Amino acid sequence: MRRIVLPPRPDWPEQVERLGFGFHSPDGAPYWSESAAYAFSLEQIERDIEAPTGEIEQLCFAFIDRALASEAILTRLAIPQAQWSFIAESWKRGDRNLYGRLDFAYDGKGPARLLEYNADTPTALLEASVVQWDWLEQAMARGALPKGCDQFNSIHERLVAAFAGLRQPSPFRLHLACVADSAEDRGTVDYLLDCAVQAGLDARFTEIEEIGLLSDGGFCDGANQPIETLFKLYPWEWLFRERYAPNLATARCQFVEPPWKALLSNKGLLAYLWEMEPGHPNLLPAFFEGDKRCATLGPSHVRKPIYSREGANVALVDRGAVVHSDDGPYGAEGFILQQTAPIPAFDGAYPVLGSWLVASQACGLGIREDDTPITGNLSRFVPHYIAP
Amino acid sequence: MKRSTQIGLAAAGIVLVATTLSLIGGGDEEESLVYNSLAECRAAGQLSATQCEQRFNEASANHLRDAKKFSSSSACETEYGAGSCRAGTWNNAQVFIPALAGIMLARSLAQGGGVAQPLLPPTQQACPPGSAAPECQQARSSGSSSSGASYGGGSRARAYSTTSGDRVVARSGGGAGSATTRSVSSRGGFGSSARSFSSSSS
Repeated sequence: MRRIVLPPRPDWPEQVERLGFGFHSPDGAPYWSESAAYAFSLEQIERDIEAPTGEIEQLCFAFIDRALASEAILTRLAIPQAQWSFIAESWKRGDRNLYGRLDFAYDGKGPARLLEYNADTPTALLEASVVQWDWLEQAMARGALPKGCDQFNSIHERLVAAFAGLRQPSPFRLHLACVADSAEDRGTVDYLLDCAVQAGLDARFTEIEEIGLLSDGGFCDGANQPIETLFKLYPWEWLFRERYAPNLATARCQFVEPPWKALLSNKGLLAYLWEMEPGHPNLLPAFFEGDKRCATLGPSHVRKPIYSREGANVALVDRGAVVHSDDGPYGAEGFILQQTAPIPAFDGAYPVLGSWLVASQACGLGIREDDTPITGNLSRFVPHYIAP
Repeated sequence: MKRSTQIGLAAAGIVLVATTLSLIGGGDEEESLVYNSLAECRAAGQLSATQCEQRFNEASANHLRDAKKFSSSSACETEYGAGSCRAGTWNNAQVFIPALAGIMLARSLAQGGGVAQPLLPPTQQACPPGSAAPECQQARSSGSSSSGASYGGGSRARAYSTTSGDRVVARSGGGAGSATTRSVSSRGGFGSSARSFSSSSS
């Protein structure tokens, strides 16, 4: 794993916009950054990223079985009791999932260590799936990188295949929803809608706020069209606490991500994974705050709310003192403490590796780097390639 | 290779003709990447007559090699539907295989079309007898390869399968859905949390 400095394409904004990537410079600061790229060997990708990603996914499935049999775990994860059977049914039925992203700290030498699992509403998707793919093709075409480079990235192909298999019979009608006022979320949903259309689905966008309830108990979109299958870029922990929460189980709607993903999209997962596989080379020690085993972490650790997005409310504690914290609205449901991951600095940048799963299959990598060891919403996306 | 062979089209055995090329290529919305017959390929005028022939020859050769082989016509039809199979010779034995229903180009036309992949009729599982799905009706009514059903006019879809068993739906226009009026009892029961948090995704 090396960080390679490369000259950006002079017309890179036009090049990435042509792919539908409109949020490359939110607030004027470039988020897409191609003045550097990370180079990997094939062995690093397959042995250190792809294989552990698949292994952790299987471990997560074992955890779901365990959680659904334990009221204590469901309570600890702050899952409302009214939704327990809704979640359990979705798991028993085998409701398909579309995607997820495991975030790892990795330095190219030791094992990748799991920081967290964005199992429910992961983004940074189009840049990983399409934009960096096109960047590599162009870099090879103009001789900036040798021909024969590759990339860990079959995300696009697998998304299209996964959409078709979400439900039988297929094709079917799929609604895709996100909040009305987020350009970034809308960009992600538009891309997924494109994939769904290519999978042959009748795919339609709806704002999450315009979803309605029909007199027959089902959900509908803004045009009163019934919603039978709903992809929602909107977290389960919010859906569980809003006005239509009691209708979730009775609306005869198949959700993507499925309700069982609520058990994984929760930092409490990290504590349970460590409990199930203590010493696993790809896991970091983690415990719920207040657990006496937290003492084993020593004075340096990371404190994360069990519900948190984009680094909000995450605090880095070094020798007992908070050295970096990111303010935000999360934390009411509790915290976990996780051993500080050795995020290596490359030229002063801290990369976090987002390892993508589509339909539970490891299939791609997207790297975000930050100037601090907590990857927040001001991080930069940096492309990668596999050196020949 | 660890990366997608193509973005925007024909990925993982599923091709959308016409509407999404703009994602990666030149945005030529009239491009067709699926041809049901040699005649149709020639008539479309996107490839030269020689290229069309070459692509169909490639696909035919791969077709016999890669298609699932059956020892009887009825076994083949059980999987692919009545009238969807033909006899062939493979390793000096008579076999029955699903007939060639068309070809799918692996790359965009701007890139020369690339190697053609044979397309087979949809499986019975994908398109059960009597299925009302338009792409299934189109596939069944078109029959086998020789009919050369026209493709590219209006908003039409046709189902196929690939030799590796993937389902393919090629369509020439956007999906049409009928809107029905139903009574809505309430609206706006989701979304309130988003107003108190900066981001709903991660």
